[in-house]
Amino acid sequence: MIDLGYVVDANKKFQKELNSGTAALVLLSVLGRAKESMYGYQIAKMIETKDEAVPMMKQGALYPVLRSLENSGLLESHVDPSITGPPRRYYRITPSGRETLKNWMEIWNHTKDFVDSLLTGDHNV
Amino acid sequence: MFKTVDDYLTQLKANLSGCDSALIQDALADAEEYLHTALENAQLDNPQVTEEETLHTIIDKYGSPQEIAASYREVEVFITPVLTTARRPIQQSVLSRYLGVLSDPHAWGAFLYAVISLLTGMIYGMWVLFGASLTLITLISIIGIPVTGLFLLSVRGIALMEGRIIEALLGIRMPRKPLFVSRELSWKAKFKSLVTDSHTWKSLAYMILQFPLGLIYGGVTFILFALSLKAILYPVLDGIFGRSLITLSGQAYHTSPWLFPFVSAAGFVLFALPLHFARLAGRIHSRYAKAMLVKKT
Repeated sequence: MIDLGYVVDANKKFQKELNSGTAALVLLSVLGRAKESMYGYQIAKMIETKDEAVPMMKQGALYPVLRSLENSGLLESHVDPSITGPPRRYYRITPSGRETLKNWMEIWNHTKDFVDSLLTGDHNV
Repeated sequence: MFKTVDDYLTQLKANLSGCDSALIQDALADAEEYLHTALENAQLDNPQVTEEETLHTIIDKYGSPQEIAASYREVEVFITPVLTTARRPIQQSVLSRYLGVLSDPHAWGAFLYAVISLLTGMIYGMWVLFGASLTLITLISIIGIPVTGLFLLSVRGIALMEGRIIEALLGIRMPRKPLFVSRELSWKAKFKSLVTDSHTWKSLAYMILQFPLGLIYGGVTFILFALSLKAILYPVLDGIFGRSLITLSGQAYHTSPWLFPFVSAAGFVLFALPLHFARLAGRIHSRYAKAMLVKKT
């Protein structure tokens, strides 16, 4: 008898780990394509509408990742007052962030190909 | 179930207790920005739904205070201020330890801070003098309260900016976002909280004290640096331009030419002294700044 509770928990844990590992790449990629600076809510909404079938991490968890990327010099930010609400922090990618994004995309593609080949059985063990 | 954004923020603050106060300030600012923006958008789309119901859906996407606090704790482990690199192992000899400061990025950061504080200290001092005078003059008129409010807000803004300089140059974690103030408060209540908040007055006191402190940091660093530079260049200064090594009571003192290399060597050794002074002053100042410029939560 399969323990359904265990399966659900394992799935959640797997998705959480995947999300944590890819959040920085996703954020860099979104800001790499953006024509102008974006604030946290805009970024979260953009990621949400890309694919609603994939349960992304909680949107609030993106903010500490944004700050971490900024601290590493991959993003830069400025605060602008908002007419309707609290001040907003706008992020944009730095030249070093673009370079890192290129490297990460290569790593991601290699990893994806490797995992795909294992999943489809094309990989010779 | 949270009835208002403030309820959520209070709960988030409670879940972050024990964390660095600068981190808590940032996390609250992030949550406030998201929740208010999401709430406004949702209410524009669906005005008949209550704030409580809308907030429930928004928080479901944003994450519970527990989840968000956990995310910040997790990421904060990897976030270190720019100059908080691993400490270098202690060198064996006293001279190499003394000269080792030349390759210490913390010392150079502190050196730059000491020089900058000479200028920022004067600017802060003049701004407080100007702002306080203007506030006193206008206090009896109708524009007194707005002027006071704007001046105190500027003090908060400068405190945040000073924190950013300190974090970049002294390598200590300082707030990266402005302080959270509930939007639901009336302007009178906001003004009252601005005036009664000890953080405002501590920031103001910091700005005033930064004037003499900046003079000491910048002055001592600059004098030591100038002395070492003069000693290094002494053979040229004396040999070509006839400048003395020191002048006491109008009497100029020169050294014999065979001592020139020793004076220069002493200058190179002296060169490390302003860096040692700046590093020590920076360590003490960063603790003091954290106590004055970061609001206790």
